Amino acid sequence: MVLGATSPFAAAIGVFGMIYGAGASAVADPATIVLSSLVVFSGAVQFAAVGLLLTGAGPLAVLLTAAMLNSRNLLLGAALRSSLEEPRRKRAFLAWWLVDETAGLTLASPAPPGRTLLFSGAFCYAAWVIGTAFGVLGASLASLEELVAAVFPVLFVGLAAQSTRTRDAGLRVAAAAVVSLLLAFAVPEIRSVIPAIAAVAVAMPGEKG
Amino acid sequence: MTIWLIVGLALLTYASRALALVFLPKPSPPVEAMLRRVPGPLFAGFAAISLVTSSGAATPPATLAAVLAALLVARTRSLLIILSAGLAGYSAAEVIGALF
Repeated sequence: MVLGATSPFAAAIGVFGMIYGAGASAVADPATIVLSSLVVFSGAVQFAAVGLLLTGAGPLAVLLTAAMLNSRNLLLGAALRSSLEEPRRKRAFLAWWLVDETAGLTLASPAPPGRTLLFSGAFCYAAWVIGTAFGVLGASLASLEELVAAVFPVLFVGLAAQSTRTRDAGLRVAAAAVVSLLLAFAVPEIRSVIPAIAAVAVAMPGEKG
Repeated sequence: MTIWLIVGLALLTYASRALALVFLPKPSPPVEAMLRRVPGPLFAGFAAISLVTSSGAATPPATLAAVLAALLVARTRSLLIILSAGLAGYSAAEVIGALF
């Protein structure tokens, strides 16, 4: 069940891995590119790093950008924390698999959260690394980039729907979508942290009654 | 891209993942109730920002059509149905775009 739900995410991640592998060739050798996907495992951070390096930015700018992009992981981790009963050492292992998609699947799935995070994370990780390797080797699915880019918002609509069971929750979801959209148009520079800001803002007020 | 930069990115990324998951104590009931309300809005936010490019422009109409089609069947709460509707919306927009 976990693998079935993860499959569309993993497929999209694999294609983006290819695009990353091909694009990063301008700033690194093949082994370094694959190593980056093996040890970083973050499309947002890795794409941003390549983009900045291509514009001539230094390592400090890249690291600061990565820190900002990663700040949403704090919220995802906090949202997952209360559902994980595993001891600290096991949570440290599970933390490796925490990305937007796996956090979403874990929070929306009725399956045990630790197992969902592990299996969905491993699946997405394999897709990301293998995709990167294919991209480095010259595989190109650039023509599919637009389609794959459309898959992510559709899947997040699905996860939002699965997490929404009441009218109150539906209103919060709608409010977060509108706020995020407006902020993304107004300040695209911080778009990666906008969902976290909007989600916390609409989740703060308590439920009536 | 140097090895040291990759190591720095890896450490930063893992630290951000582990910080809350490993070191945060079990939250108090009010905080836990608030955190339980976060996922839906967070995913909605991720979907919404996907409609805007990093330069602040709107994404292609086909992407918007995919999301609108997904929203139409969102009440089913089925990831498969929502994904199928999204792809159908995307394809329909591409066909219409090619015709006109």
